[in-house]
Amino acid sequence: MAALIETENLCRYFYQSDDIVVKAVDDISIHIEPGEFTAIIGPSGSGKTTLLHLIGGLDTPTSGEVSLSGHRISGMSAGQLSDFRRDHIGFVFQAYNLIPVLSAEENIEYIMLLQGVDAATRKARVAETLRQVDLSDYASRRPAKLSGGQQQRVAVARAMASHPDIILADEPTANLDSKTGIALLDVMKELNETLGMTFVFSTHDEKIMKRASRLIHIEDGRVHKDERKSS
Amino acid sequence: MLTLKLAIRNLLRNTRRTILTVMLIGFSLTALILADALTLGMLDILVNSVTKNVVGEAQIHKPGFRQNLDVDLYLSETEKIRDSLDQDPTIAAYSERVISGGMMSSSYNVATGLMYGINADAEGQVTQLPDAIVEGTYLTGTQGEILIGNELADLLEITLGDRLVITLSEANSGELAQALFRVSGIFHFGIEGVDTGLVFANLRQARSVIGLSDQQSHEFALRFTDPSLATMPGTQVYRQLNTDNIETLNWLELNKPIASIIEMSGLSSVIIGSILFILAGLGVINSMFMSIYERLYEFGVVKALGARPARLAALILLEALLIALISCLAGMTLGYLLGSYAAENGVPMGEFQVSGIAIDNRVLLRLELYQFIQYPLFVICLTVVAALYPARFAARIIPTEALQRSL
Repeated sequence: MAALIETENLCRYFYQSDDIVVKAVDDISIHIEPGEFTAIIGPSGSGKTTLLHLIGGLDTPTSGEVSLSGHRISGMSAGQLSDFRRDHIGFVFQAYNLIPVLSAEENIEYIMLLQGVDAATRKARVAETLRQVDLSDYASRRPAKLSGGQQQRVAVARAMASHPDIILADEPTANLDSKTGIALLDVMKELNETLGMTFVFSTHDEKIMKRASRLIHIEDGRVHKDERKSS
Repeated sequence: MLTLKLAIRNLLRNTRRTILTVMLIGFSLTALILADALTLGMLDILVNSVTKNVVGEAQIHKPGFRQNLDVDLYLSETEKIRDSLDQDPTIAAYSERVISGGMMSSSYNVATGLMYGINADAEGQVTQLPDAIVEGTYLTGTQGEILIGNELADLLEITLGDRLVITLSEANSGELAQALFRVSGIFHFGIEGVDTGLVFANLRQARSVIGLSDQQSHEFALRFTDPSLATMPGTQVYRQLNTDNIETLNWLELNKPIASIIEMSGLSSVIIGSILFILAGLGVINSMFMSIYERLYEFGVVKALGARPARLAALILLEALLIALISCLAGMTLGYLLGSYAAENGVPMGEFQVSGIAIDNRVLLRLELYQFIQYPLFVICLTVVAALYPARFAARIIPTEALQRSL
């Protein structure tokens, strides 16, 4: 099977002074297949988030290459990267994912508005994704009227609505209590299993690790261990 | 539509800040409208003082007469001038005059001044001399009557019925001539040079004293059917009555200091407007930056999702445009209400003089349509221009840096 994500000798260095270079990502080459439920794990400061940002086209590598769905994104301009992220990647961040002045359904609709999707399709997809995350009854609520878990589910629904190739989630359960975190993971796992949606997490949450089909261990910016679980 | 909704809701996020920004811009617009209306009101007083009093809206002389009021530089073609003015549909009225400088003597004092010989009826149609009489009566055409400025009367220590002897030089011969008058009226215009230095006598007697015939005059003062015609260079009278021997000038050309004041008043509106809107513009920039910094993480998320920089810039500019529109609505409403009240009741300014003209203690503001079209358009443009800098900042936010800000 062709890899969905390929990184080749990927490096991201931060130059703090002439003498101090922080190698956040150091020569990482990984392949992620479609439909995988992958967790990038490691201690704080190991380079998980930086790797996720590089894969998601939010950051530019110092050297090496990143390809997603056959597109080499490491050479794209800022404008091209914006369009690529909009059309191919869904994001779920740790918290404050949503635009506070828009309701749940408007938050989901917003990404499709960026894509230029017509109003009827937008409306249909909003209803569908809200149903998938079991929040149909909360469509008109603004984020402040939703719990942390519900907000993260809306963020997942928004990521789904753009029909991305992959959803990148940066510590999505970090700000949730254990029970809410498990509920969110169950929603994402179900989307992965039923729709074949590919998820890549950066996390040090044991709950995600348990559910992940693949664990990529990062330490000091390098892949320490890459293990696939048998289903 | 969602972008508009987003912009409106963003403004309502921090209503206090939005209201303060709206007040800053709105009050600036109100201040500009009122300052301009006040300037127009003061100009009205100045212009009225000039055109409705001695000067008229335009004057005809022999070239060179105005420079030193040489009594020998009189108009001989008065018949031709009268015919031309009678046939000109833009001329509402004109007053023929003879003028001579002389010495005014009473039983108690002596002063120098100008004697105007006028046709009482014609003068009344061009200037407000009949209305300026504060004591006695206007000229009736009776031999020997004379009108004198109140300050000159004080200086000469004379009042109604007192004798006034005027000594002047005759035209052509240069011989000294004297005439005895009795004060029939005292006038007050509130214009320094007029109240302290002019007397008005009947045209026929004045001509006789100066030694001019019925067909010789020094000046024609004109009033147009529409006052704005006075300052239009293409107006018929300027085209027809400007020759080698006849000079026709409008009131602005006759009053250079007033013309300068009018020119400067336009400049002062520009300066006041510039200062107000630089301050308002800085307020907008500050407000927009505060709003952006509050939403930095949010902008990071939106950019991460794939929003192009131009979309974020457009959102900020749309928010600024909405603020400008609301501000203009508020500013225009307040400006209209206050301006209308002050146009009706006047603004107490105390008494002061501009270029020798006394401004009464109340100035009636003059509101004009352009103040409610041009100035709000300036405000909208300037507010949006002021928002360009914050918009550019928002557009250039780097998602990875913004996402690290508040977590």
